[in-house]
Amino acid sequence: METLLQILSPDFLLRNSVYTSILVGFACPLVGVFLVLRRLVFMGVALPQISSTGVAVALSVPLWLGVTQDVHSSQGEHMVAFIGSIGFTLTAILVLGFLERRGRGQPEGRLGTAYVVAAALSILILSKNRFAELGWLDMLKGEVITISNVDLLLTAIMLALVLITLALFHKELFLVSFDRTMAVTLGKNVAFWDILLYLLLGLTVSLAVLSVGPLISFGFLLIPALIAHLFARTMRQFLLLASLLGGVSSLVGFWIAYTWDFPVGPADVVLLGVLYGIAWLVAGIAGLTPEKRRGRYAVKNGANG
Amino acid sequence: MMNSPIITFENLSIGYHGEPLLSGISLTVTRGSFIAVLGSNGSGKSTLLKTLLGLIPPVAGRIALAREPGASFIFGYVPQTTNLDPLYPFTGFDVALMGAYGRVKPGRFVPGGERTFTRECLEAAGAQGFAQTRFAELSGGQKQRVLIARALVTRPDILVLDEPTSGVDAAATHAVLEFISRIHREKEITVLLVTHDLPIVRKHAQEVVWLHQGRALHGPVAEMLTPERLMSIFEMEVS
Repeated sequence: METLLQILSPDFLLRNSVYTSILVGFACPLVGVFLVLRRLVFMGVALPQISSTGVAVALSVPLWLGVTQDVHSSQGEHMVAFIGSIGFTLTAILVLGFLERRGRGQPEGRLGTAYVVAAALSILILSKNRFAELGWLDMLKGEVITISNVDLLLTAIMLALVLITLALFHKELFLVSFDRTMAVTLGKNVAFWDILLYLLLGLTVSLAVLSVGPLISFGFLLIPALIAHLFARTMRQFLLLASLLGGVSSLVGFWIAYTWDFPVGPADVVLLGVLYGIAWLVAGIAGLTPEKRRGRYAVKNGANG
Repeated sequence: MMNSPIITFENLSIGYHGEPLLSGISLTVTRGSFIAVLGSNGSGKSTLLKTLLGLIPPVAGRIALAREPGASFIFGYVPQTTNLDPLYPFTGFDVALMGAYGRVKPGRFVPGGERTFTRECLEAAGAQGFAQTRFAELSGGQKQRVLIARALVTRPDILVLDEPTSGVDAAATHAVLEFISRIHREKEITVLLVTHDLPIVRKHAQEVVWLHQGRALHGPVAEMLTPERLMSIFEMEVS
């Protein structure tokens, strides 16, 4: 408890890291919910990896151009990384989303290929970059220790933008996701709402990767949403529970990492994995899995009336 | 206004990527009629429905919709329940409320009046008893009632039902079709029912559009479903 109070204290040296982790923890599951509902879980794996490849490429460009600079000292450097992250993520998500809408080929195959190629490209770039050892690998592993006030503010503003957009347009985004035909008959511009959702996903993933790395981003995008889906009875419960789980897990994960001197990213993700396992057991024992609920309701109300 | 044209197909060709599946469709749907679209698997029922709803463009010709100046034409669309992913934790009420989204601008919350109207439609469809239950947990017949309520919430110009009895048992099928027939009579609403169930068509529909070998045959049920006509369509004896 003492350690937890210390972590939450405004004087705590790594407070920006704590705040950023919590922000990402609260925000990522809210867009992750759409990935789960649209059965695009693998996109949640591929996008953070593609985003981190974008960071690697963007930070390598000065080197390729023969410009020498210190990676950690410049805000301009951070902006270049952000541009690389968001550029790669948005391009990938729009291309993958377009192919998804056309419904051709195997989505899992495309996403799997995108993931593995992005991962390999990151390794290739880093292997030829002498600045890599200075910190990029830490970032890509999810080592949340060097977050400036500007980074924190930027993350907070962008995530607030995502949250406000989701709050304002959730009914259109859910309608288009749930029943596209109905959306068309009601005169909704399905392509527009799809692109808005992809932009929100891209922006959130880019920011999360830049702040906390691809590992935590993936963990917080999907696992809280998967846990919440086991217990939520309504869409509102689903969103609130997923977000709350993400935020609280990020704080607890940071506390565990700080107490036992673990890297924060892996600690967060393992914690979420353990919680998912416990949630499955509890849901199974309590008969809350969707299959059991359906079966119980059918028995109670007649087979197919 | 009854018997005035509500939808006119003008020399319509439908299909995919410029390749016509059905051609030369010219027919008029009159206001207040109950039309069944019949056809075997692959005959073009789904393609016709998608074209009518604006999901795919016609290959040739046009569909004229009778709408008031400045107003949009509203399809009260009832999909097959199997088309809706059970992963979404929507309640029956949430699903029915979607019918009001066409009248609520993006960024605005659904007003209380629309919620009240949604409850009224759920009640009219006999779905108020399970409106707060998760949609995915409802039976096939209950889902259909919720989806019909949703279609009514749109305040439709026409109800379009895509094989509403698919995946629904006989008793529920009977109840759902009786309900549709009743609102057709009481509200004088136009109904377009896509199905392959001949007994249902005989009992409830007034006219038939039969999609067969690239053509659309149109006429009253009494003419279209005679044994002789069926024989000529199926090219086999039907007793």
